[in-house]
Amino acid sequence: MNSARRLLQTQYFRCLAAAPNYRASVQHVVFAHPPRRTSLSQLQWPRSFHGSPGCSQNRPVTTAVGQGGEKKEKSLVTYDELFEQVARDAKSKATFNRVVDIFSKRDVRRRGHVEFIYAALKKMPEFGVERDIAVYNKLLDVFPKEVLVARNFIQRMFNHYPRQQECGVQVLEQMENYGIMPNVETKVLLVQIFGDKSHPVRKYQRLMYWFPKFKHANPFPVPRDLPQDPVDLARLSLGRIANDLDSTTTVYQMPSTDLSETGEEISLPHIVGTQSPDQRSLLAKHNPSRPVFVEGPLPLWLRGTCVYYYVLRADPPPPEEKVEEPCDPELFGPGQSIFYPLVVDLALDRDLGDDYSFDVDDVEEGVVYAMCMTGQGDQATLGRWISGLQETNPILGQIPTLFRLESGPRELQGASETPRGPDIEAEPRTMEHEPFPEEEHQHSQGMKQ
Amino acid sequence: MSTAIAIVPLRNLCRVQKFLPLAASPPPWSLPLGRRTIYHGDYRRPGQTRDNRWPWQKINFDFSKGVEGIRKHFGLLKDEFVQRWKGPEGRPLLEIMLEQTRVLWDFRGPGSLENWIVSSDREIGGRSEAYLKLGRNSTTCLLYGTLCSVPPRDGETRYSGYCTMRSSQPKGSFDRKKHYDLSSFNTLHLRVRGDGRPWMINVGAETYFSHQKDDIYSYFLYTRGGPYWQDVKIPFSKFFLSSRGRIQDDQHSLWLDKVNTIGFTLGDKADGPFQLEIDFIGVCNDPAHNEDFAYEVYKRNPNV
Repeated sequence: MNSARRLLQTQYFRCLAAAPNYRASVQHVVFAHPPRRTSLSQLQWPRSFHGSPGCSQNRPVTTAVGQGGEKKEKSLVTYDELFEQVARDAKSKATFNRVVDIFSKRDVRRRGHVEFIYAALKKMPEFGVERDIAVYNKLLDVFPKEVLVARNFIQRMFNHYPRQQECGVQVLEQMENYGIMPNVETKVLLVQIFGDKSHPVRKYQRLMYWFPKFKHANPFPVPRDLPQDPVDLARLSLGRIANDLDSTTTVYQMPSTDLSETGEEISLPHIVGTQSPDQRSLLAKHNPSRPVFVEGPLPLWLRGTCVYYYVLRADPPPPEEKVEEPCDPELFGPGQSIFYPLVVDLALDRDLGDDYSFDVDDVEEGVVYAMCMTGQGDQATLGRWISGLQETNPILGQIPTLFRLESGPRELQGASETPRGPDIEAEPRTMEHEPFPEEEHQHSQGMKQ
Repeated sequence: MSTAIAIVPLRNLCRVQKFLPLAASPPPWSLPLGRRTIYHGDYRRPGQTRDNRWPWQKINFDFSKGVEGIRKHFGLLKDEFVQRWKGPEGRPLLEIMLEQTRVLWDFRGPGSLENWIVSSDREIGGRSEAYLKLGRNSTTCLLYGTLCSVPPRDGETRYSGYCTMRSSQPKGSFDRKKHYDLSSFNTLHLRVRGDGRPWMINVGAETYFSHQKDDIYSYFLYTRGGPYWQDVKIPFSKFFLSSRGRIQDDQHSLWLDKVNTIGFTLGDKADGPFQLEIDFIGVCNDPAHNEDFAYEVYKRNPNV
């Protein structure tokens, strides 16, 4: 916090310098900075208005809004209209800053700044500046400095300027909701505006205490900006859900558009799949008389975006087909050598009664053999994925493949808006073994030999 | 503990618009499972008329219900007497003394969902939906629904968008409160399968004063997503105290001798469908973990 203290000190010295009875020792500090205007109006310390160090230049006090500004000040001021008026053509950071500047220059007393800040906070996502710390600082800069600071203990006790403090807390809360960490400039501004130990400063301290604690709490972090390219996005999400460093991600088909003979465009969606060596060996052991299933689309959320993936899986094997792995008698039991045991199940920190397993039945589930993501979740595309998988898993040519596809992601999003009961959820399971009727493709039998 | 809240009670962000008073009948919240009890349901939506009935008017004096209650409660009372012969809580003493892990909830069969309360921001006028059902083979619990973070247009509510599932408080005979005594464990163990969304785990412990009744100990549950199960171990020392959604300034470690509820909350502001599948919830004793509390409990300067 050294720089904060220095900033505060310089500000304090400026105040002193403006006062008539400054000491000589202060002077050299003052003149290290560009000398400020020393007009008579500045001598009314401590109740004068001060800008922040960021905008300490001479500020022409003019009403720069234009012709409309004069009229509006007489009427009930709606600051939403100010935003709409200025940013009529483009909503960006520059125009947002211009609106804030216009408001700051309109009136020395910053009349109505609380309402303006509330309106600006609401408009921030519209302008795309909700994650910009500089904009938040600029917004806090709208508050008049040193007027709202409590000057004795009674004021400090009785919630000095409550509306303004609530507004300041609201700015910080919006930063909190968007996950923006305040910086030193924020602190300097808050201390200047509200004084230390005020509610906004407390809120700032809480943010600075808790945010770094949970910053890296997520063991599966998602980058803030996801890749735009669907193939890269599929690689990222498949690597996330595969949870296996050995797994290889293969791009079976790049997205492309072709022109057929008849002249219509055929767009080929991307197909990206992943499979690990373990899955490959498990699939090689699969009983060819039992089918494997392509299931999906299953949702995966990466921060705010939802992607869908498909899995190739088997049903859980019936109990009569379960093969117990024959224990190697040389590893366990009396068959192994006493003097040179191959497996030693011994942990020195474990007592006789220590049992760290949970007393629950295992959930019976089929094995997942491969996963893929595609731009178009119909049976033809997924069939292309399966034929691509056959190159590395020749056994897939003998195993019948069934498609258990639910409605695509678009329909899913549409259905989410309509009320949806728990009974609808069970519906897609009934159409397991039926092919899609509209698919006039080779795979439309649902069986593939 | 919640006396230490120093948060400014924020006024409305937007001006209160004129709203139509709702009809006198209670709104048709159609929660599929048990509704919140009178004790919990003290939130009155803005614009909702006050319930002016006397307390006895809310009680259902039904003869068949009374008979059923007598049968249930005397059965529980008998159990409590008979179980003592075996050991505490009907289990042999040696088993309790030697146990390193305990499964608190597993979802095997349809009866296992009865102890859970599902709610969403419908209660405050939002549009999220949450449902609870058994998974594929009736061996897991699937919490699913849709999240919608559009705040209700009642002029006061500013944030919305949560879905939550909470275990109901264990009760003995004659509705006496019972608690889970987890003081011999230090880690929460879950086996879940999510869809990549972050959840929050809330553990509610018994408190002494009534103003502490919203105190909750929370930590995050990050799910990986994908078709595989995920074993999550969260030490109880990491749980931080919050009340009514705000982290408190003076933190205390969670006292595990009287744990009432455990809950899962989703509120990550990503609108859309969600699902969380839970296999079991257990506690275990991790001997390698010897942390009491992960956050500072000494008086800090500045005293935030």
